[in-house]
Order: sequence, then structure tokens, then C-alpha cells
Amino acid sequence: MVARLTDLTVATIVRRRSRLPASLIVGGALVLILLTIAALAQWIAPYPYDQMHIRDRFLPPGLHYLAGTDEYGRDVFSRLLFGSQLSLALGVTATLISMGIGVPLGLIAGYRRGVTDELIMRTLELMMAFPPIMLVLLILAVTPPSLMKTAIAIGVLAVAPIARVTRSVTLDLMSGEFIEAARARGERLGYMLMRELLPNVWPVLMVEASLRVVFAVLLGAVLSFLGFGVQPPAADWGLMISNGRAFVDTAPWISLAPGIALSITVIAVSLLGDGLREVLDPRLGSGR
Amino acid sequence: MNGAGPLLEIRNLTIRYREDDRRITAVRDISFSLKLGGSLAIVGESGSGKSSVAGAILDFLGPAAEVTGAILFEGQDLAALAPAQRRRILGRRIGAVFQDPFTSLNPALRIGRQIAEPMVQHLGLRPAEALGRAEAALQEMGIDRAAEVARAFPHQLSGGMKQRALIAAALACEPPLLILDEPTTALDVTVEAQILRLLSRLRRDKGITLLFISHNLGVVRRLCDEVAVMYASQLVELGGVDRVLEHPAHPYSKGLLASRPPLAAASRGSRLAAIGGQMPTIAKPDTGCVFAPRCPFQEPRCNAGPQSLTMTPDGRPVRCWKSDSLGSWPYQLVMPSVAPVFRRGDALINATELSKIFEGRGGLIGWRLSVARGRPRLHRQPRRVAAVSDVSFSISPGEVLGLVGESGCGKSTLGRLLLQLLRQSGGSVEFDGADLARLPAQALSPFRKQAQIVFQNVGSSLNPRLSVGEALERPLALFSLAKPRDRIRRVEALLEMVRLPAAHRNRFPHQLSGGERQRVAIARALATEPRFVVCDEPVSALDVSVQATIINLLADLRDKFGLSYLFISHDLAVVAQLSDRIAVMYRGRICEIGTAAEVLAPPYHPYTRILLASAVDDDQAPEPTAGRLAGAAQAGCVFAARCPHKLGSLCDTQPPPLRAASASHTIACHLDTFPVSLPCVSVDRAAVGTG
Repeated sequence: MVARLTDLTVATIVRRRSRLPASLIVGGALVLILLTIAALAQWIAPYPYDQMHIRDRFLPPGLHYLAGTDEYGRDVFSRLLFGSQLSLALGVTATLISMGIGVPLGLIAGYRRGVTDELIMRTLELMMAFPPIMLVLLILAVTPPSLMKTAIAIGVLAVAPIARVTRSVTLDLMSGEFIEAARARGERLGYMLMRELLPNVWPVLMVEASLRVVFAVLLGAVLSFLGFGVQPPAADWGLMISNGRAFVDTAPWISLAPGIALSITVIAVSLLGDGLREVLDPRLGSGR
Repeated sequence: MNGAGPLLEIRNLTIRYREDDRRITAVRDISFSLKLGGSLAIVGESGSGKSSVAGAILDFLGPAAEVTGAILFEGQDLAALAPAQRRRILGRRIGAVFQDPFTSLNPALRIGRQIAEPMVQHLGLRPAEALGRAEAALQEMGIDRAAEVARAFPHQLSGGMKQRALIAAALACEPPLLILDEPTTALDVTVEAQILRLLSRLRRDKGITLLFISHNLGVVRRLCDEVAVMYASQLVELGGVDRVLEHPAHPYSKGLLASRPPLAAASRGSRLAAIGGQMPTIAKPDTGCVFAPRCPFQEPRCNAGPQSLTMTPDGRPVRCWKSDSLGSWPYQLVMPSVAPVFRRGDALINATELSKIFEGRGGLIGWRLSVARGRPRLHRQPRRVAAVSDVSFSISPGEVLGLVGESGCGKSTLGRLLLQLLRQSGGSVEFDGADLARLPAQALSPFRKQAQIVFQNVGSSLNPRLSVGEALERPLALFSLAKPRDRIRRVEALLEMVRLPAAHRNRFPHQLSGGERQRVAIARALATEPRFVVCDEPVSALDVSVQATIINLLADLRDKFGLSYLFISHDLAVVAQLSDRIAVMYRGRICEIGTAAEVLAPPYHPYTRILLASAVDDDQAPEPTAGRLAGAAQAGCVFAARCPHKLGSLCDTQPPPLRAASASHTIACHLDTFPVSLPCVSVDRAAVGTG
């Protein structure tokens, strides 16, 4: 199965463009738009994220303030744009961290088997036994909060699932005779992992990574909501939802706007992941 | 049922598959008919469309397939029937058995239930009654303990037993027609012979009509009256099995028959007749003969327009306009004077009392919890399997040692022990006089350069993410065999050596055919300029015509570079073609070793004789009893449980002595006189006729 899966190179994906799934196109476009907005937030936001307009507190969405203002008269739309930077940065950084640790661990565990495998996998399972929020809170509660630390905490949390996926694909690949041919040449560990195994694990990891970004953004919002993540006055979607909670009945837009933005992000990345899986997995496409 | 008409008639059957926006024609305008009690074989290589014909009759091609033409069964057009009506006929009146007995049975259901199911469905029997009949059916398939087998789960049975159970299930409703799609391809030769014997008995006793689909002409001869040869979606020849196999009319049939190696020791200079090139994936018959590009008899008129079926003088349809005037398929035989003479010298690789024992599952899973005297106890339960025991032999520079045996006999493990891909549990391997086990890990590198391996599975022997060029450059870089700027030239030279165009450097494995992949794998092994190559079933996954070209290539490379091979195969004929000496292996032990001619001629080890007899279907060959169930490690001869010449308790308790039949021929057996007197195998082109 894996051998066939990995037959699909980018070239074949492009060649099959006529049948690219709608989810990939929509999700990809949305993610692209979100990334562009985040990158250009400084320039397209009408106001700085922390500028207070004391006379314009609790204004509903209108021409001046596209998404209304909050309890300090700050422009919710501008905060939303700046907030996308933090949320997406958190999602991507956390995923990069978990991939950076999880992929090598999974590769080594699957390649070496035996004691190494047991040691790595049992340790990771130990981590998985903790409730995720507890683990992150433990890390964040004992030290002063910062964005990087939040990213690391969330990233470490996702190491175990990434390593498991990597390991299971690696185990499948290990039965391939090209691995044995490489061993018959006496190849070193580094070459085996980087050249023989990693390129074949990559398509599966791409899909896994897109799902991990979603989890990380959501968890980041949860942490901010609880007060352990990004600190005010910084604009973070989770934090904005949390702050707006008190005024939900009088000024619902303060929470609603970041809520909608978060939902769109989650849906976009999920669609992208779904689309990627459909293209990369021959079982869901037309079998060759 | 009308008695006069044919049981099955296919008229102008055409099958197209829609893929993306293209349409691929898998079967093009095929017609044939099959009488009640008759047997017809459809023969062709992979991709010829033969299985699609069976799929169209059985209605499981799926919505992507477009089927036109008529499929008349008992005078009724199956294609015109409503799905429900058709299903009723398929279960009751047509039975089907497929290639892979290992995946055809549901692993979660007992065998008996799987045979009883169609009887409950189609005959309306009560489950208990159907189960009783299932047991009787198993008995009829030649299974001794039918009641026990009916209660077993599929994983408890051997491949042959599973295939018997599947045949029993297909025949449960006593259908007049049985469709078999490569039913013996996944099985060992001895088991294949048993299944074929079972099928011909069923034909004789019950008058079952067979539609048999296969790539193996030798198998077809044993079972069928008529044969239809398919090539690139077309029927190219149809006729009585003896006529087609003795006097093939179409060039492709000639080539197919000629490229199959004979079951005889070959001289060093001989090469197999091969069909060059490969089957087109998308044939365009309108512009000329589909076989013309590979045909040695090809001339301009062949490409003038579509080929139609013409009649040979003896009334066989053949798709070749000049079939009357063709000679036999051309052989390219190397002259004996040109071929190097081989003399055995000092050993290049020397195995002494080599053993490999696999321990049961390690880690936490190996532990078992049991309760003894009311106290729970945790203990390790080692499951030890001796894959190779006490094997000694040597291979000289330039020598080819063939290693034959059935699946699971330990032949692949032995090959990996020689290359130190696995560590032996006992004994030693010497390469060029140095004991490999004593070498430190770093010192193994020069050995790795000199000893390489070629694998069976063309699907996984190349890394799908590396281009051919990258795969071939790696060994050059690893062993510093070429400066970076010279590497491309060296890669191209390697490709030329295995007769592939230099432009293939930029291709990826999935863009290559099976034969091409195997050539790249051979080039990769030879890139390190080795002296010794383990060829582990290198041609078993390839079509017959491609097989011959790879065997010839291996022979050429052997002569050119003076290579030594350990050539592993389950196919005696293939091994005989290439080997100077042959070792026969059974359950981890070598039971006979000698020069190719000595092993293929009497005196035989009893097991070798069964292998030979199975390969040619000697009807008088003693039926080997089931060997799979025979207990764990034995004190005596490993073959005793299956041996037709067993001497009694001696064979069970004493290890067999090594008897020298000649200076170079050793047989491990208690028998004083080997079974020479028994009907022996004719050694000439036994499996197939000459072209």
C-alpha cells in the first residue's frame, strides 16, 4: 500500500489536476488568503491593535469599525488581523516543533526496532497517558507565560502521535527490498533515515501535519482563554473570545468575530488536509 | 439446459476501462465457446486481458468497465440479465476460484461455514445440513480429516489446503462450469501438482467444465483440451492443446514456448530463446499487428493494417497472415568455443555448518501469564524456529550454485546469512579466506562492496522516491568508485550493461515495467563491481518472455565479469538453466548437492525426485503426504514425514548420513539404493514442446 502511495510524486498530482478534489482547492485558497492577511496585518489593519478610542466603546460593526469595538474602544477588526499572526504563528511553530522531534524518533524506532523501539514508544505512551491540558498547564503554570513557551508546550504534546504515525509507516517500508539492498551496501544510519526512509514517509506526514496545525491553533486559543497563553494587551483570538465573554449579551461581536475567524481557520486547514489525503491516498482516488 | 449447444459461448466480447478521460481496451473482440464437459485455457502474460474475460463472465469488473458483446451461458445472455437474476446464476451455475488462497478466505470464519454459505444462499439448505455437506465436499477434495478442517480457521491451514477448501466452496452448489483464475500460481510445485491432479479427477468423475486462466503453458497442458492464447487484448491463436503446444502457429505462441527453460542442465554457452521488447500497454491494432515490434518474422506488410483471424490448414484460428510459412523461433546460442570454460577452483565463499534459529517474538509480547498451582506466573515462552540448520558448501570464483526448495525451506535466509544481513546462530561464513563473523563492523565494508544481492519483488526492490540515476549513483559514491563528474557516464555505462537506454537515468521506478526494474536492480548490485551476487528468486515475479531475457542477461554478466552467483529459486528449470551445481533444500537442510546434471538425473534424493516429478506431472509420482503439520524439531531426517521411501523408525530417529554418489554429488539419506528404479523424469524439454 505504501509503495503505491509513494508512487505519487508532485508531478503526478499536477497531471491529475482535472480531478483535484474541491476540498483541496477551497482549503488551499483559504489557507493562502489567511497567510497573506497575517503577513500583511501591519499594513491593512485600519488601526493599531492596542489603540483605544475611549469615546467609541462597545460600538456595533459599522463603517468606521468593520467588526465593532471592544470595552476599551479598540477596533475588533484590527485586533482580529493582528491576532491571526499570533494564532497562525503558534499553530505552525508548534507543529514544526512536534515534527522536528517526533519524525526522527519515529524513524529511529521503526528502523532500529527492538529495545530502542520499546524505549522510545513506551516513553511517548507515558506522555500520552496525561490529559493534554494538564501537561501544558503544568509547563506554563510554573514559569511566566510567553508565546514561544506556549508553542513548545503544545508542540511537545503532539510529539507522540507524530512519532507513532512515522513509526508505523516506517515499519511498512522496512519490509521493502530496497531497504535490504541499502543494508547490503552497508549504508550508515543517517543515509538510511534521510534518503531511503524519510522521502517515503513524507506524503503521510504532510497530511498529519495539516491536522496538527488545527489542533495547535485550537489549543492555543483554549490556553489564552484560560489566561495561560498570550497576555493582554496582545491580540490573540482565544484571548479576545475570553475578554468578550463578559459582554456577550450587550456586545456579542467582541467574542463572535474572533470565534468566526477561528472557525474559518480550522475549517480551511481541515479542508486542505482532507484534500491532501485524497490526492495522496490512491485508495480514495481511482485505483491504478 | 439444452444439450446440443455449448455451455458457454463468448461472442465479440470487448471490454474497455475508463480511466480519467481515456478509454483503455483490455479485451478486444474475443469469441470462443466451451462445450459441456470441455476445458479451455486462456493463456497470456500479465496485462494481456485474460483475467478481464473471467471478470466479465463473473460480473465483477465494476462500473468503470464497459462490456459489449454477448456472454451466453446455457443459451442465456448473462449481460442482458437483471443483476438479481444474474447473481442467482453466478452462485449456483458458475463457480470461481482465484489465484491467492491466502486472501480469498475470510480469516474470521471457520472453513466449514464458508463452504456451507453458498448452499444456504442458493440451495436453501438449513445451516446444519449445509455444514454436513461441506464436510463431505472437503473429503471429496482429498482432505483426510474433513471434520477437523471444517472447524478450523483459515490461518491454521496450508496454502494447498486453503485452495482445496476454495474449490470445495466453488463446487458447493454443483455448478456445471468452474472458472479458475491462476489457481496454482501462488503454490509450491508439489502442491500445484496435487491441485492439478484433483482438478483433473473432478473433471473426469463429475464432468465439470473448466475455464482455466493461466500464464503457465506447462500447467495448461496437464489439464485442458483447448487453449486460447491472448496477447495485448487480442486473441492470437485458438486450438487443441496438443496442436498449439506442439505446433504453435502464431509467432507469439512460438516465442512463449521457446522462452520457457527446459528441465535440463544447460551448458555454459547456451542461452534461452527470448522475446525482445515488452508488451505494449496500449495496443493499436488498427495500424498493424500488435506483436510486430517484437516479432522476428516481421516484415512491412505486417504493419499495413489490422490483422484478422485466419485459419491454419488444420482449422485453427490464428491472428497472423503468414503463419503457414513460419519456421521455428530463432535461438541465439552462444558457440561453445566462445563461451568460457569453467573450472572449479579455491572457494570464494565457504559456509561451514551454518545455522540460523529465529527466536519467537521479543519484547513485552513474548511474555505469557499462566496460572500454576493457583499462583499466577509470568514467564517467557520462546518460540524457536530453525530456518537453516547445519548447512555446509562452498562456491568458487565464477561458479553458479543453484539453490532449490519450496517456500519456507530457508533458502532466502541462507542467502542473507552469506551476505551477513542476518547473523548466524552457529557455524561460519568465510569470504576469500576471512571469517566474516570475526571481522569488526568497519572491516565489513570491503566485503559489502564485493558481495551484493538481487531480489525477487520488482515492486519494492527500488526506492520509489529515487530516480534510476540516483539509485545507481549511490553505490558509486559510497565506495568512491567514480569521481563526481564521471558518475553520470558510469551510470549510463551500467544501464547499457543491462541493456537499458541511457535516458532511463531520469525515470522513477513506477515509470518502468517489471523487467526494466529488475534490470535496474541488477545494475545497482553490479555497480559496486562485486565478485559474488546472491540472486534471490530474481525472475519469479516476471512473465515468461521477460524471464528468459533476465536469465540470459545474468548468464552474460557471469561470463563477462567472472561472477559467482548463489541463484535461489523454487523453479528447478530456471535453476538448471544457469547453475553449475545445484543444492536442494528442505526445511533448513540441504538434502542433495551436486553438479546440475547429477542432481537432475538418478540417483535422486527422494525429495528431489518428488520435485522433478511435480514439475513435469509424472502421474506415477508418489503423492507426498502433508508435511506442514509434521511436528517440531526432529532428531531424524527432516523429510521423513513426507518421504515415500521411508525405512521406518530409523528415518525418524537417526540423522541421515551423507552418501557420496560421485566425487561431486552428495545425498543425505538412509537409503542404500536411491530410487533409481522408479519411473524417472525425461530430461529433455519436458514441460513444453519446442517451437
